[in-house]
Amino acid sequence: MFISRRYLADFDWVLLALALAAGLFGVVEISSVEPFPGHWQKQLINIGVGVLLLFFVTFVDYRTIVHFAPFFYGAGIVLLLLVLGPLGKVKHGNRSWLDLGYFGLQPSEFAKIFTLLMLTYFLAQVRKRPLDLRTLVIAGIIWIVPVVLVFLQNDTGSMLSFFSILATLIFLSGLRWSWVAGGLAVVMIVALVAVPRLKEKKGYKAERIKAVYWPELADKRYRYQNEQSEIAVGSGGIIGKGIHSGTQGSLGFLPEVHTDFIFAVASEETGFVGSLSALTIYLLMITRLLQIARQTRDRTGLLLVAGFAALLLYHVTVSVGMVLRLLPIMGIPLPLMSYGGTSVLATFFGLGLALNVRLRRFVN
Amino acid sequence: MKPIKKEANLEPIDDLRQAGLRLEIMRFLALAVFLVLAGRLWYLQVMNSGVYAEQADQNRIRILPIPARRGTILDRHGREIVTSRAAYNLVINRKDIKSYAEATDLLVDNLGIERPWIEKRFKDAQFEAKWESIVVKEMATDADVAWVMAHQFEHPELRAEEAPQRLYRYSQFAAHALGYVGEVSPEELKKGQFTKENGYKLGDIIGKFGIERYYNDILMGKDGARRVIVDSKGRIQSEIERIDPIPGRDLYTTLDLDIQNAAEAQAELMPSGRGAIVVMDPNNGEILAMVSRPAFDPNIFSQRAKTPEGKSEIRELQDDPDKPLYNRVIQGLYPPGSTWKLMTTVAALNEGVITPTNSRIQDGGIQLGNRFMRSISNYGQPDIITAIARSADGYFYRLGLKMGVERFEKWVHLFHFGQRTGVDLPNEQSGLLPTRAAKEMLIRNQLKREREKKGLEWRDKDEEQVRQLAKWSDYDMAASAFGQGTNALTPIQLLRYVGGLAMGGQMSVPHLLLRGASGIDREGVSHEEIRYENKGGFVVPMGPEIQAIVKRGMWEAVNGAGTAGGGRVEGFDVCAKTGTAQVAATERAGSKNKDHAWFMSFAPRDKPEICLVVITENVGFGGTYSAPRARAIYEDYYRRTRNLAPPEAEGEATKK
Repeated sequence: MFISRRYLADFDWVLLALALAAGLFGVVEISSVEPFPGHWQKQLINIGVGVLLLFFVTFVDYRTIVHFAPFFYGAGIVLLLLVLGPLGKVKHGNRSWLDLGYFGLQPSEFAKIFTLLMLTYFLAQVRKRPLDLRTLVIAGIIWIVPVVLVFLQNDTGSMLSFFSILATLIFLSGLRWSWVAGGLAVVMIVALVAVPRLKEKKGYKAERIKAVYWPELADKRYRYQNEQSEIAVGSGGIIGKGIHSGTQGSLGFLPEVHTDFIFAVASEETGFVGSLSALTIYLLMITRLLQIARQTRDRTGLLLVAGFAALLLYHVTVSVGMVLRLLPIMGIPLPLMSYGGTSVLATFFGLGLALNVRLRRFVN
Repeated sequence: MKPIKKEANLEPIDDLRQAGLRLEIMRFLALAVFLVLAGRLWYLQVMNSGVYAEQADQNRIRILPIPARRGTILDRHGREIVTSRAAYNLVINRKDIKSYAEATDLLVDNLGIERPWIEKRFKDAQFEAKWESIVVKEMATDADVAWVMAHQFEHPELRAEEAPQRLYRYSQFAAHALGYVGEVSPEELKKGQFTKENGYKLGDIIGKFGIERYYNDILMGKDGARRVIVDSKGRIQSEIERIDPIPGRDLYTTLDLDIQNAAEAQAELMPSGRGAIVVMDPNNGEILAMVSRPAFDPNIFSQRAKTPEGKSEIRELQDDPDKPLYNRVIQGLYPPGSTWKLMTTVAALNEGVITPTNSRIQDGGIQLGNRFMRSISNYGQPDIITAIARSADGYFYRLGLKMGVERFEKWVHLFHFGQRTGVDLPNEQSGLLPTRAAKEMLIRNQLKREREKKGLEWRDKDEEQVRQLAKWSDYDMAASAFGQGTNALTPIQLLRYVGGLAMGGQMSVPHLLLRGASGIDREGVSHEEIRYENKGGFVVPMGPEIQAIVKRGMWEAVNGAGTAGGGRVEGFDVCAKTGTAQVAATERAGSKNKDHAWFMSFAPRDKPEICLVVITENVGFGGTYSAPRARAIYEDYYRRTRNLAPPEAEGEATKK
C-alpha cells in the first residue's frame, strides 16, 4: 500500500501526539472518577481503535473519500432515522443512541463528519465567485436534513454543531463579505431580541440559559449543576487537588463526570496548570489543522480540514464554556477526553482526513 | 460524476489566497476563544480558588455530633432515678421522599410501623417546617437500626438518628424535684446561662426545670463530633476526625426513694388531687422527699417532644388549669393559717409578752372597732401550750394585740419569712409578709393598677390615699398574729420553719444535692466530688424554755387532745401543727371553694430526725385531710428505720 519513507516523513506526528495526549488525559480522569468500573480501559480501547481508523483513513486518497461522500451522507441519514425508530434509545432526555446490543452508537457524531464530507463534495465543485444564492440553497438543503433529524432527537448541542460546519464552509467558499457581515448582523439582532425574552420563558432550555446569565431568575434545580461545576473548577486552584483526590466529581456533586463534565473533573484535580495545558493542546490542534488547510493546494482538502477544525473548535468552546459557566449546559462531549466510543472514533476519523490531506498536499 | 481531481487543479490562485485570509480569521477566532476560556480559568482557579475550595469542603464535610451521655440522677443511697441511654429515632428526609405511598409501604413492611399511624404522621407532617425531617419511629430497636443501615444505599432518605433518651424510671415520681430536659430554645441561646458564648448550640439538650436545670452544669456533658466526608446525597463515605464526647457527671440527690415512695402514695390519696408533700432532715436541710400534685411524666419532654402525640400531651399539661407543671412546694403560695401561731408564740415569749409560767390569755371571739372576729375555739383562758395544741384563735388575736406590730414584725423578719429559702431549684417564690410595708405595697399596687386602667397619672395625693388605706388596724394585727394576714408562704418556707422549730431555732437551707460525682466539666476542667455547701443557714434565737414550750405544744397537738391527732404514730413522738389556709373570697369557685389544709410536723420530739409539711388544696380543715397523709409517711419511716415488720394489714387500714 502506502507505507513509505515519504509517508512517514510527511505524516503529522505532532498532531497525532496532541490527540493522544488529550485522549490519555481523558483516560486518567475517567479512571479517577470511575463512575462505572472498567470505563477507562474501554476508553483506552476506543482510542486504540480510533488510531487504527485514523491510519486506515490516511491510506486512501481523501479525494476518493470525498468522491464517495454522497454514500457516507446517505448512510448517516439512515442511521439518524434508525435512532428515531425502534432501535433508538433515550438517554438523559436525548434520543441520540442506537442500541446495537454489545455497544451503543451515537449516529449524530458521525453524521457531523459525513455532512462535512457532503458539503465539501458539493461546495468544492462550485466555481462561481462569489457564491450565488442557488449554491447556498443547495448547501442549505444538504445541511438541513441531518439537522432536522438531530433536532428530532432533542439534542440541541449536537444540532448547533452543524451550524459551525455550514458557516465555515460557505465562509471559506468565498461568501461575499457583505453577506458575511449581513449574516453576523442577523445573528446579533436575533440574539438581542430573543435573549431578553428568555427571562420570562419556562422550560428546561430557558432555565439552563437563565442559570448562567441570570442565575437569580433560574430554578434552583437548574442552577445546581452550574454551581457545582464552578465549585469543582474553582476549588482546583493552581495545581489541583491531585489525580484521584477530587471531591466534587467522585462524591457525586457533578453529573456525567466521565462524559460531558470531564473537563470539570480534570480542572478540579489538575488545577489551572492542568486545565490550561488541556486547552493549549486543543488550541495547538486547531491551529495545526488550519495550517494544513492553508498549505493545501486544492479546495476539497481546504474545506475538509478547515471544516473539521471548526467542528473541533465548536466542541471545545461549548464543552469547556459550559463547565466554566460561560455557556448554558448542553450535552456535548469534549472531543477525545470525554468517554464515548462514537465521539472518539468520529474525532479520529476527522483527524485521519486532515492527515490524509497533509500527506497529499504536494501530490497534485 | 466528474473527476474532482481535474477540477481541483483548475483552482484559481486568487481564490486560495482569499481562503488563506479567511483561514487566518478562523485562527484568530480560535485564539480569542482560547483567551476567553483561559481568562475564566484564571478567574476561577487563581483569583477565587479559596472561596470555591471552601464551598467544596462545605459540600463534602459534615460535622455530626456524638451526643454526650447526661449524668445519672440517683437517690441518697445510690439508687438510680433518672438515667440516660443511647437510643435511636428513625427519621425520613422529607426532601428525598419520592412518593409517600411507597414510603408508607416501605416502613410498614420492613420496620413494623402501623399503617394508620404512619399515614396520619405523614399527613400531619404537611403542617410542619419543610426542613424538619419526619420522625417515623422513636426508640427504634437494634434490628430496626440495623435494617436502616443495611439499606442505606437503596433508601438514603431513611436514617437512624441518635436521640438522647432521658429515662425517668418512675415516670411521675418526684417529677417536680427532678425536672425535665429539652432542646435549648433560640431565646435561651440569646441570653442567660445557655448562650452561644457559653458554648451551647441549637439542638443541645439542657435541663429545663428542677434539678435537671439547677444542676445542668454537673449533669450535662459536652457532645463530641465526627467530621465525615459525605457524597452529594449525604451518605457518609469516610471519617476524618473524631472528638470524643465528655459525659455528664452523676448526681446524688438527698432524696430517699423509700420516703419518696411513701409520700407519692399518700399524695395520690389527696381528694382534690392538688397539693404538696415535702420531707426533710431538719438536722441538715436535706430534702428526703418532694411531691407536688398534680404531677406530670418528665418522659414526655425527653422522649416524645418531637412526635405529634407528645406535642399535644405537652400542650395539655401547659393548658391544664390545675397547673401540673408547677412545683407547688416552691412555687405555691398559701396563707400559713394556724401553722403561723408558733412564730407568734416564739416572738411573744422572746419579747416577754407572755412568760412560760404566765401565759394565760382569754380565748374566743373579739370585737375590734366595728368588726367582730369570730373564733371557732373558746377554751376560756388557756395557757400557751393548750393554745397551740388546740389552735385557739382568740388567744392569738389577743396575744398579737398585746405584742404590737413593731415587735411582731421584728420576728417575722428574724424567721426570714417572705424570703426565698435558697433551695437548689429554679423558680422559687418568695411570698408575702403580714407586715405594714407589705400591706402598703399591696394597696399601692392595687391603686396604681386601677389608675392605669383609667389612664391616669400617679399623683402625690394618691400616695396620701395609700397611707390612709394602709393604716395598720387592730384587725390587721389580730389577723396577722394567727396567720390570716396578708401573708402567703411556700410549703418549702414552712418546712424550713418547722425544721428550725424542731432544732431549737437552727434553720437549715432545704436542698436536694447530696453530692456530684467527680469528673470533667464542659470546659474540660477536672472537678473533685462536689458536696452541698450550706451557706444560708441561720438561727432564730429561742431559749431552752421556749423550745420546750414549742415542742410541748406541738406534741400535745398530736398526742394530747389537740387538732393534729390524726398524725399520731405509736412510739414515734410526732409533733405537729395543723393549719387552714383560707381561700380568698374572690378565688372561691366550684371545686376550689374550700380552704387549703396544712400539716407541718417533725419527729421524734426529743431528737428530731425528720420533718414534713403537707398541704392539700381546697379540702378544708388540716387535721382531717393532711394529718393522715403525714402519719402514713411517718409510720413507714418509723418501721423501716426501726427494722419493724411492714404493717401489712394495718397499712391497708391506714389507706382507708
